[in-house]
Amino acid sequence: MQDNQHVEVNIPSNPIFERVVRASAAEIGEALDFPEDRIEDLKLAVSEAVTNAIEHGNQNMIHKLVEIVFALDQEKLEVRITDQGSGIGEMILPSEVVMITEQTLDERTGGGFGLSLIKAMVDDCEVQSSNRGTIIILRLYRKGQEQ
Amino acid sequence: MSDMVNREKFGDVVVLHIRTNSVDAVSAAAIEAACNEMQPITVLNFAEVSFINSAGISVLLKFVVKARKAGYKLFAMNLSPHHQKIFKMVEMSRFMPTIEERDLSSYRQS
Repeated sequence: MQDNQHVEVNIPSNPIFERVVRASAAEIGEALDFPEDRIEDLKLAVSEAVTNAIEHGNQNMIHKLVEIVFALDQEKLEVRITDQGSGIGEMILPSEVVMITEQTLDERTGGGFGLSLIKAMVDDCEVQSSNRGTIIILRLYRKGQEQ
Repeated sequence: MSDMVNREKFGDVVVLHIRTNSVDAVSAAAIEAACNEMQPITVLNFAEVSFINSAGISVLLKFVVKARKAGYKLFAMNLSPHHQKIFKMVEMSRFMPTIEERDLSSYRQS
């Protein structure tokens, strides 16, 4: 595949359209010859980031868009997910996966896994936020793949 | 019972066959409704499920909570290798261990 290519998807803040982005991620992962498990990791990370953008960034306001850009270069696949919210201040990504314990069973039925799963599924990620919105950037390096 | 979950009951066992390929925010409410179908031994069959995200994990945890309150046993069946990895990562597998189809056959015959 030719390098330095971009794919852009814009969706309204409706959770059903997260599935469209996830399907796009799967197709791009396949086009890049990522192994099956790596594609599943990509799908999960993108799903969590887009869901965050819809629910927390755009507050489920359907007229607000989530922009997803898949950018491919020789070294990596970078996915940038941008919402149109008012920002979240400083965000520190969890250093470890959130695990279910006896004590947190009830609490976790309300969620709280998303960000830690993103971090676990990709090689590198970062969050940039301002009063014009939040961008989550995911990177999966093509190490070990034939260029 | 929603179209997204089919119920197969024999004795104290119920197998809840999840009929959607995505256990996510969109399908969560319909899947959660099947909590009311739980029996002393409840098996969630993921054979048709190709994707589970954190919203899906959260709804599955509602089955865990309900099973523990009722003293029921809860198992997962036909999880994909990726989902087994995720379940292990978040320790869901501690609360919803996997069971093989063949392990159910003795219950089906009794």
